[in-house]
Amino acid sequence: MAALGVEMNVAQDDGETNTAVKVPESVLRRDQARLEEAERRRDVKQSQTVTEEKSDFFTSTFNAEKTQLEEMISSCNDREKAAKTLEEATVKFQQLQKFLNDSVRFLTQYEIRQAQESLQKLQSSITDKREEILPKKKFAFRSRNTSKQQQPTPIQQQTADKPAPGSVGTVVVDAADQCGFSNVDNQVLVRQAEEIQQRDVLLSHLTHCKVRLYGCPSTLHIKNIRSCEIMCGPVSSSVFVDQCTDSTLVFPCQQLRTHNTTATRVYLHVTSRAIIEDCQGVSFAPFTWTYPGILDHFKVAGLSPDRNNWTEVDDFNWLAAGTPSPNWTVIPESERICSWDFVGTAAEQS
Amino acid sequence: MGEVQKGLFSVIEKLKGTTEQELRIVLLGLDNAGKTTLLKQLASEDVNTITPTQGFNIKSVTCDGMKLNVWDIGGQRKIRPFWKKYLENTDLLIYVIDSADKKRFEETGLELSELIDEENLKGVPLLIFANKQDLATASPASEIAEGLNLHTYRDREWQIQACSAVSGEGVQDGMNWISNNIVNKKK
Repeated sequence: MAALGVEMNVAQDDGETNTAVKVPESVLRRDQARLEEAERRRDVKQSQTVTEEKSDFFTSTFNAEKTQLEEMISSCNDREKAAKTLEEATVKFQQLQKFLNDSVRFLTQYEIRQAQESLQKLQSSITDKREEILPKKKFAFRSRNTSKQQQPTPIQQQTADKPAPGSVGTVVVDAADQCGFSNVDNQVLVRQAEEIQQRDVLLSHLTHCKVRLYGCPSTLHIKNIRSCEIMCGPVSSSVFVDQCTDSTLVFPCQQLRTHNTTATRVYLHVTSRAIIEDCQGVSFAPFTWTYPGILDHFKVAGLSPDRNNWTEVDDFNWLAAGTPSPNWTVIPESERICSWDFVGTAAEQS
Repeated sequence: MGEVQKGLFSVIEKLKGTTEQELRIVLLGLDNAGKTTLLKQLASEDVNTITPTQGFNIKSVTCDGMKLNVWDIGGQRKIRPFWKKYLENTDLLIYVIDSADKKRFEETGLELSELIDEENLKGVPLLIFANKQDLATASPASEIAEGLNLHTYRDREWQIQACSAVSGEGVQDGMNWISNNIVNKKK
């Protein structure tokens, strides 16, 4: 027994010795493996970090450039400087396009799509602004003509200064064919029946204006409107609304198409249907305006006064049947306007 | 209306010679261009009850075994991607443009050029209606043709026709072009 005990002790000693010898090797190997893994992880993180840095860089740079471009476009109202500014805007736009193309490799699909949409909108803005401010200029003027062109400018400025804010005035759109108003702020704008006479009416880039159209246009375009009250007689075909905000629209028509519009109330008489697309906070109520001769104008426009589908609004962004679109509502009866300001009354009918 | 009706029937009569002939016509263009008004004009229907198209309208005119199947697809931006799903086996593309909507000429030109590049429309004849010529602000068809660079479409028959779908003026001329230039080739 004692001998066995002694042997056991010896065995234990041997075991300990063996363990002591083995431990360093295995530990060293594990340490190496761990270090290698750590290095791999660091490499991966670094590469990801680089990607993230570039992505953030792109987003911030792109948005900054985009904002600058938008400011250039919106501040571009002086006809004299418009051509140069639009040219600069176009160059800047092209640079932005190239920036996006160069960055496509490391951007996510979503980021690419968002950026492309932004570029598309910017291009539309540039095109709209160019058409609006430089409508018929197809050729560049020579230096001689430039000096001549500069002379009339002061007269135009004086003309622009004359109407006082809030006074009743009429601003004429340059195009002879066109009927309507453009680029006006804080004015009352009136057109009588004989001026309209089934013509195509365009209202664009108006802010804080009251518009009264006492006649029946063939068609009516309402674009880039903010904080306005627009009232119109019967429109034979469609009214086309785009980029309208914080406004009140009042008219009878055959069709109504509304795009990119927010926080706007529509007092509508529509003989077929209204549609909205890319809109929010649009509300509808039945047409409640009147002026002398409007019933005759309904006849001229070919609209039935007895047929009004103002509650039939289709939202092209809302395809779920059975669930109402959250983008438009009916104005509660208690909140509807029934009597409107009298501004620039309609000319008496002969 | 009567005139247009005659025009359409005369087109069909010209097609009498062909046995069991069937034409698939797709009607496209931006929203508010007047596609549905044109379709109803062709079908001699009331153009005063037209509503913005959700999805599509289809009119099929049958006469002596001859069918004209005209598909009118909605032009709102959100549903334009669906245009491609209607293009298979198309015999003729009718593209409608609002001649008075100058601000969207570029947009409509882009949409048209993308359509032309579709595999399903290779070699398919193109008829463009420059619609709303009744409006004072409408651009002439020649100006629109130039703006769209139609002369670069060398791989197919094409024609641009000024019209007013709401009054019917010019629509028959477009249909006559179809009868004279397209159907004859199918014989």
